[in-house]
Amino acid sequence: MADSKAEVQKIDETLTLRVADLARLELSEDEVRTFTPQLRDVIGYVEQLQEVDVSGVEPLTHPLEPGDSALREDRVEIFADLSTEGYRVPQIL
Amino acid sequence: MNTMNIQNDFEAVIGLEVHAQLATDSKIFCACRARLPGGPAAESVADVAVNSNTCPVCSGHPGTLPVLNRKAVEFAMLAGLATNCRINPRSVFARKSYFYPDLPKGYQISQYDQPICEAGWLEINTASARKRIRIDRIHMEEDAGKNIHLSGFSVVNLNRAGVPLIEIVSAPDMRTAEEAGAYLRALHGVVTYLGICDGNMQEGNFRCDANVSVMPRGSKEFGTRAEIKNVNSFRFIEKAIDFEIRRQIEVLRAGGRVIQETRGYDSARNVTVSLRSKEEAQDYRYFPDPDLIPLRIEDSWIASIRPRIPELPARKFERFVSEFGLSQYDAEVLLASRAIAEFYEESVKILKAAFPDPSDLRAAAKAAANWTTGELMRLLNEEGRELSASKVTPAHIADLVRLAQSRVVSSTGAKQALGVAWKTGESVETIVEREGLRQVSDTAALEVSIDKVIAGFPAQVAEYKAGKEKVIGFLVGQVMKQSGGKANPSLVQELLKKKLS
Amino acid sequence: MDADKLQTIRAIHDSFDKKQASVVEVTRHFLDSVKKKGGKDGLNAFLTVCENRVLERAEAADQILRAEGKVPRDRVPLFGIPLGIKDNLTMDGVRTTCGSKMLDNYVAPYTATCVERLESAGALCLGKLNMDEFAMGGSNENSAYGPVLHPTQPERVPGGSSGGSAAAVRAGLCVAALGTDTGGSIRLPASYCGIVGLKPTYGRVSRYGLVAFASSLDQVGPMARTVEDAAILFDVMSGHDPRDATSATVPKGACREALRKAPETQAEWNGIRIGVPKEYFVGGLSAEVEKSIQSSLRWFESKGARVIPISLPHTQYAVAVYYLVAVSEASSNLARFDGVRYGVRPAEAENADDLAAFYRKVRAHFGPEVKRRIILGTFALSSGYSEAYYRRACQVRRLIKQDFATAFEKVDFIAGPVSPTTAFKIGERISDPLQMYLNDIFTIPANLAGLPAISIPSGTETPDSLPIGLHLIAPPFQEERLLSLAHAFEKRGAAP
Repeated sequence: MADSKAEVQKIDETLTLRVADLARLELSEDEVRTFTPQLRDVIGYVEQLQEVDVSGVEPLTHPLEPGDSALREDRVEIFADLSTEGYRVPQIL
Repeated sequence: MNTMNIQNDFEAVIGLEVHAQLATDSKIFCACRARLPGGPAAESVADVAVNSNTCPVCSGHPGTLPVLNRKAVEFAMLAGLATNCRINPRSVFARKSYFYPDLPKGYQISQYDQPICEAGWLEINTASARKRIRIDRIHMEEDAGKNIHLSGFSVVNLNRAGVPLIEIVSAPDMRTAEEAGAYLRALHGVVTYLGICDGNMQEGNFRCDANVSVMPRGSKEFGTRAEIKNVNSFRFIEKAIDFEIRRQIEVLRAGGRVIQETRGYDSARNVTVSLRSKEEAQDYRYFPDPDLIPLRIEDSWIASIRPRIPELPARKFERFVSEFGLSQYDAEVLLASRAIAEFYEESVKILKAAFPDPSDLRAAAKAAANWTTGELMRLLNEEGRELSASKVTPAHIADLVRLAQSRVVSSTGAKQALGVAWKTGESVETIVEREGLRQVSDTAALEVSIDKVIAGFPAQVAEYKAGKEKVIGFLVGQVMKQSGGKANPSLVQELLKKKLS
Repeated sequence: MDADKLQTIRAIHDSFDKKQASVVEVTRHFLDSVKKKGGKDGLNAFLTVCENRVLERAEAADQILRAEGKVPRDRVPLFGIPLGIKDNLTMDGVRTTCGSKMLDNYVAPYTATCVERLESAGALCLGKLNMDEFAMGGSNENSAYGPVLHPTQPERVPGGSSGGSAAAVRAGLCVAALGTDTGGSIRLPASYCGIVGLKPTYGRVSRYGLVAFASSLDQVGPMARTVEDAAILFDVMSGHDPRDATSATVPKGACREALRKAPETQAEWNGIRIGVPKEYFVGGLSAEVEKSIQSSLRWFESKGARVIPISLPHTQYAVAVYYLVAVSEASSNLARFDGVRYGVRPAEAENADDLAAFYRKVRAHFGPEVKRRIILGTFALSSGYSEAYYRRACQVRRLIKQDFATAFEKVDFIAGPVSPTTAFKIGERISDPLQMYLNDIFTIPANLAGLPAISIPSGTETPDSLPIGLHLIAPPFQEERLLSLAHAFEKRGAAP
């Protein structure tokens, strides 16, 4: 694919920070500096998947598919062993 | 409310997203309670003692797994069938990722590509027309918990997390607030009649978000839309939409841009207010949930639940209007609750035996409607009672109608009888006999009283004979007094007129 | 009490029957070993020891033994057997850390199904075993609680992520252990430590109670000294679980029984076709690993089995697929670790100004490898990239699965190395994540395709050379045949 190499180069520290923010991860400056080239390496490595012919291939998300839909009967069961205090968090604005 | 107050150069486009809580016993992916007993009037499970209705699964403990509630699937299928949707033979659950304290796993299990139902529609009636509103999709998802805001911090209550929801997404086919209101009421009727949702907007089991935009009339491109959330009555939603349409038109007229944002409704001031900007669209990173195998729905399953669909409000409406000759308004009032509609129909069924002639039946049906929407509903509302908890039965209404039509009791007497039936549940016949509510329609007996009154009030008799027609009322009243209120007033008037002519 | 007589389930049961030891005595023996060699001063294999809990159960077992006279082996196949449990499997009331600081204080409120079944079958859980944080790693150097040491060569890694499990079993700290395998995390440490490690078919053992790393790849499996012991554990744990919608509706394992039918006669061996993928031998294998595998293959041939070259054309893409699919699922599975309902909540988080800061301060305590994978996975799923990365990886995954289906039309098993090398030195590979990932090339495909696979010691280990595992893969749900073959191989003794 023509611009996959360009895509890989796009992985810079800004992107790392943006993705880390999506995942609510705090990275130290050191981590940002170390991770970014490592990320680029891995994404560079997985680029080879672009050369595989996947036309007409359905993505596989479950090794068991097709399988019987596993359903539960609508019955109540009380679980008594969890804490019953409210979970406290900073003010949600 | 003049909802046609849309300036001619602009058109409004409205789409609605409804989240209906499914009335299953247990949550969608675990065995905690989804609802408390008590039907539509019950308290929401969200409001029981904080976190007393959770388990490791719905509070997202490590290592737990979701298992889908069969009944929730069936309820979603019923919703799809009743709204003419296609039920997908294969549908996929997807994870919708975002961070928020009321979302224990950091993602909501929902459906994205391949929802359970697609491409349906609902017919609505407005004052001016009948219209078909398309339904893009219905999908299943789990409800989130609730955040309780205290001073300086918030507290998360997960009692409601995992309650099953269906999200019903309409196409942006509505053009006025009135149409939106009609669609919502119709949809509410469908889900409550099916018994899949309690429909109590106050308790949050039927929630509606409106997407509203405006565009120059005739334009092919929709304008930027704002989303209105957290409005919990049909009336307020209509008013909010109405306001928002006018607001957006004003913005555009003034040369401004409509911002894509979320807005709430302030009912005191009748305005919509900005809640948060939707400028940066959230990246939910949807992907198929690997803990749940795709749902397969065979035709045989669909066939087995189809019989569970009762006659739905739209069809009943048609019958009430055409067969029973009710006005649209009366029909709508009766149909607001499945319980009332079925009660009413039962009473008409009983009346069919007494009034074989179709036009007589129509009159009787109309009377039954009046009794139901009038006196009966007044009593129910006064005492805050559900129909199922009252002692009045369809037979009571049918008997009252019959006795009133044949003038065995006066309308006052009938009202009295209903009041007693409400308290004791006794049959109308028993009550009428015991309380002596039979009207006197015995002509001979009446003539005796009439003669007495004619003799006793010569002045008024003379006035009547002189042409003052209204005086007959006074004379009838006197006869009624004589008979202790038991005389049949219209018969009395008839006889009086005869005698004085 | 003779430690030599406590190496396998059968041997221990024999000791009980012969009244050579009581359950409590055996349990204490293992507990002593754990305390002496299993902690921070030793192999660092155990993170939590459940001394009181296990002794209570051992005492109850002794009462039963006294009453019955003999071990009820058929009814209670794991009677009195001390096991170790990898620390990403929950046990009610027991600390479960997953090798992470995030769960340093987490006491699980329920027990994983696989552990429940083992305990119902009489097993005694000695404690929780160290592992790479959230199962992410191949050397057990990614644990927040320090690395696990190789049981015979302490300057080397035991492999990961079930490093604690492998080391504990090999060092005799427990009879057998539970590990988990997402891309090789049972088989790799089994290979490096010279024990048996089985990854069942996806769905054969319940994942309820296994803290998820990659939900469509994770499986729980037994790690033991012998194939028979692995078979016994597997039989007990396996079978449908209504609490796991991805568990298969197939019968419980009958592997122990199947071992009796391991191939013996020439005719039986003639019926066995073992495929060897040509893509596995294109370089990158260390000389000793290649030699060991070839020698094992020659042995099979000598017995009469047919060793047939096959092709798994998409092998080269397996690691790439894995490092997109697994990290994507992981980034989502780890989103629940936010300090709100459980887990460690540091002071900086309590005092955070707002919600976003709160989450960041809590989640700062993931280790670097976990953070890396979360970022990779979040990237692969994010808008604008998920088509090209996540979705495409899922498509290639299907092709990899098809490769195996095609191959299994011609062969009954697939053999090869578990790892390109033997156990490397601690610290040797930690700074190059990509290099570390490439170590999983042989084990990953079985996870992607959901196939059962086992690592068995190839018998080339000497005091001067490290253990090397032989890798065998079978078609779905054929653990019985797989373990029979492995048992036959195991019985042959040391390699020529």
